[in-house]
Amino acid sequence: MPAPLVDENSLIFCFSTNYFVVRMDGLWRKHIDLFLLISHVIPLIFFAFLFIFPLSLLLSSSFLYYGKPSLYWFSSIFSDTYFVNFNPRTGYLFDVYGDTMYIWGLDYGIILNTLIVALTTMILSTVMGLISAFILARYDFPGKNLFRVLLYTPMLATPFVNAYVLGKLFHPTSGLINYIFYDLLHILPYRIDLNGLVGISIAQSLSYFPIVYLNFQASLLNIDPSLEEQAENLGAKGFSLFRRVTFPLALPGLTAGMIITFIFSMEDLSAPIGFIGYSGNPLAKKVMSYYIFQSFSEAMRGVITPETSALSVILLSISIIGFILIKRYVSLKTYASLSRGGRWNPRVRRISGFKLLIVYVFLVVLVLVGSMPQVGTVILASTDWVLGGVTPKSFSLEYFYRLLHPSVSRAISNSVIYSSIAVLIAVLIGASSAYCVARFKGFLASILDILSTIPIAIPGIVLAVGYFMFFTSFFRWTLLDPLIDPAPLLILAYSFRRLPFAARSIFAGLQQVHVSLEEAAMNLGANRFQTLFRIVLPLILMNIFGGAILTFVYCMSESSTSVTLGALRWDRGPITFYINQVVYGSIVVGAASVGAALCVLLMTIQILAIIISNYVLKQRFAIYGF
Amino acid sequence: MVRVKLENVCKKFGNVVAADNVCLDIFEGEFFTILGPSGCGKTTTLRIIAGLERVDSGKVLFDDVDVTNIPPYLRNTGMVFQNYALWPHMTVFDNVAFGLKIRKVSRDEIRRRVKEVLELVKLSGLENRYPHQLSGGQQQRVALARALVIEPKVLLLDEPLSNLDAKLRVEMRSELKSLQRKLKITTIYVTHDQDEALTLSDRVAIMNNGRILQVSTPIDIYNKPRDLFVASFIGKCTILTGVVQNRSDGYLEVKCDDMTLWGVPAYEDLNITVGSRVACILRPENFKLEVSASDNVFDGYVKHVSFYGSRNEVKVAVRSSELIISFDSSVNIDVNKPIKIAIPRDKVIILPYHAT
Repeated sequence: MPAPLVDENSLIFCFSTNYFVVRMDGLWRKHIDLFLLISHVIPLIFFAFLFIFPLSLLLSSSFLYYGKPSLYWFSSIFSDTYFVNFNPRTGYLFDVYGDTMYIWGLDYGIILNTLIVALTTMILSTVMGLISAFILARYDFPGKNLFRVLLYTPMLATPFVNAYVLGKLFHPTSGLINYIFYDLLHILPYRIDLNGLVGISIAQSLSYFPIVYLNFQASLLNIDPSLEEQAENLGAKGFSLFRRVTFPLALPGLTAGMIITFIFSMEDLSAPIGFIGYSGNPLAKKVMSYYIFQSFSEAMRGVITPETSALSVILLSISIIGFILIKRYVSLKTYASLSRGGRWNPRVRRISGFKLLIVYVFLVVLVLVGSMPQVGTVILASTDWVLGGVTPKSFSLEYFYRLLHPSVSRAISNSVIYSSIAVLIAVLIGASSAYCVARFKGFLASILDILSTIPIAIPGIVLAVGYFMFFTSFFRWTLLDPLIDPAPLLILAYSFRRLPFAARSIFAGLQQVHVSLEEAAMNLGANRFQTLFRIVLPLILMNIFGGAILTFVYCMSESSTSVTLGALRWDRGPITFYINQVVYGSIVVGAASVGAALCVLLMTIQILAIIISNYVLKQRFAIYGF
Repeated sequence: MVRVKLENVCKKFGNVVAADNVCLDIFEGEFFTILGPSGCGKTTTLRIIAGLERVDSGKVLFDDVDVTNIPPYLRNTGMVFQNYALWPHMTVFDNVAFGLKIRKVSRDEIRRRVKEVLELVKLSGLENRYPHQLSGGQQQRVALARALVIEPKVLLLDEPLSNLDAKLRVEMRSELKSLQRKLKITTIYVTHDQDEALTLSDRVAIMNNGRILQVSTPIDIYNKPRDLFVASFIGKCTILTGVVQNRSDGYLEVKCDDMTLWGVPAYEDLNITVGSRVACILRPENFKLEVSASDNVFDGYVKHVSFYGSRNEVKVAVRSSELIISFDSSVNIDVNKPIKIAIPRDKVIILPYHAT
């Protein structure tokens, strides 16, 4: 084969530098590799339009007061006791009236409330997650695998319905908890009314503690046992060994889990709306996410007020600070290199007797309490529980049949369509940026690294506000105008928000593929595209499928943008929008059960996904984490 | 078969210089080795020839055609990677056939050529195995077959034997050599193992810190090093530094601290004159116990004897220096006894001294 000469206009690649220069007729020219160009530029455009531009517009609008740069909106927020109030006048915390103790939380103003709730959620989740992770990583006992599976339960998605169920369980007079512990067993001195801010925090802790649990457990399992054995060899044991060696080594995972929990709590809409939907509790409304949601709903056909922008910016800033902390502490790379572990024999100890009893009691209570929302949702969907009464009276499939009703089935098919397209986009963009990050370690690649993980830290409600402002101002009367049809924008929002799942999964796959495998193909004459399709893609196919399944599941249960942008046209609303409507709006008596039935559908999809990931694709079904 | 030329090739990674003005001229059909310690830039040089690494400046020529800006997939080189880089999702057949499929060779011809090349590397019958079902040596042969089947202009081997166990390595070495002889393919071999370099190569380039220090036949590399690094890197030797005092009959008299040595300059063009600071290279096997008049003679005592089977390595203290000497193990040497040893004048190689 004769040596082909490069002509002046050909596009050439380079591995180590991002462009290179060809000398032609004494002129220096930059020739950029087409492959390189595409893999960098497409994700960058995606992030520019779905992250940088909308949030920049949001940011700038919050700093404008009648067209002039100003801090007016921020100073007015921080000086308003509605937002920040150090002397709470309203709220109930362990206050007893009659035979009922009210545990609602005190109203420190919306901003402080949000932070207090997030902090409480983080602490509660950490306590539950830390202990359960440690027990399952280090002790061996009969039934361990059963508990491992059961601890997945709290992670199953029950948007909006989870808090509704908790509200129902803790209702002072007709709640099951009070019935058992006050009326029946007389253990409690008062009826407990758990609601408002405290209720939100409890509901969130129950759904988020598995995040801490999984992250910490992954870290624990990935500690090289010889590190602990060395410490024992030098005389450390028991708690001292844990405190000095084990804990510090597993700390990155724990910290990541804690910060994600904090961010998720702040942006969560599901718990406030659930409690408001069930009892209309005024304190459940007093968190930032709900406030922004409400002003968005009011402004749906008008404009977003600068005050809402400013509040969104505050929420966004706190989340991004959290994200930076995680990035500095446990980078994507560190995590990826950790997650390759599990090849050594973990240090597990068999326990028995009194210790075993304590472990069982702890785990049983944790599983019971943790899966309350999920079990409650199933009961709500399959019985007449919604109609009142402490316990359900009769079994009924009525609410499942209602899923066939045109308005409900439309929501289901909307969700499936949106999520499917979003998965395609997320996999494409995620693969492209993961490839850049894994292979071309340039400046742009490091930017893409950040951009493809940051969506996990961007509050969905803030994103919805930013998208609404940006796409109604600059894309009015186009396909992307949510006021005409929110579906295309919802799809893009899903793919942006769930991108980290696809990107991380594919990145992990690419790390297993040694660069020399690609170089060997190119050496033998395959160009970049042939190398990609014949070598890289076949080798990371399982990771792509795993990432796609994960992305699909989390798109289906996406709620923040679904209930905001999705509300702009009812016939375009996805499942979560519909659940929100029936739980929050309570259009018809018993409608919450239809929402619960939809949640059962979501949970089923999720369980199927876990099974496919674990047993068919042999991929670890990663939940949240870095 | 091509002649490969590198002209003033420079390559930096950040602040690390991987190739510093590298010039090489590798002849058609030659077995050429780049030898150097790890991190010296030898693999980078090989990757530059393959096109997997871009040069910062300089040129790469295949038969006087400038290929500097030609991407790797158009260069038609066959590379064997250190880790073999066999594709785990393909069988042996598919791995080997890959380059031919990319070249759109007909199915029948692919089958014929793959069969041929597998016979050549003695792997017939393993076509349907996957890489993980093969031993290290077999994997290495597949990688070689995959590179050879495309009939490359030049075969590039990046430490191909380093992942094999010691015995297999020596076996593969001779197989590789005879294969190359048979195919007469221009071969560039990168290694840090001097035995491999000396036994396999027609010529060897010694590289350190990104620079080519010497290009010679293996015999000259060993016996006539041009550079102190080359001398110390290849084989064992004692290095004594000193200043040239005198010159007569092509021999140089060097005063090294408390003793005086006579030797020959390695090359006349090194410009060693009276007063130059030089290093004297003394190879262990050049010492002897019989003293003749013109030899350099040392009175010392035996500090240490290490047994190496056929040979003994003896450390002899001579005043403030220590000499490494190799004797046949049948010669009886007693530790802590005085000893008189000699080395002929023309076996003392003198090089200009520069601090390394």
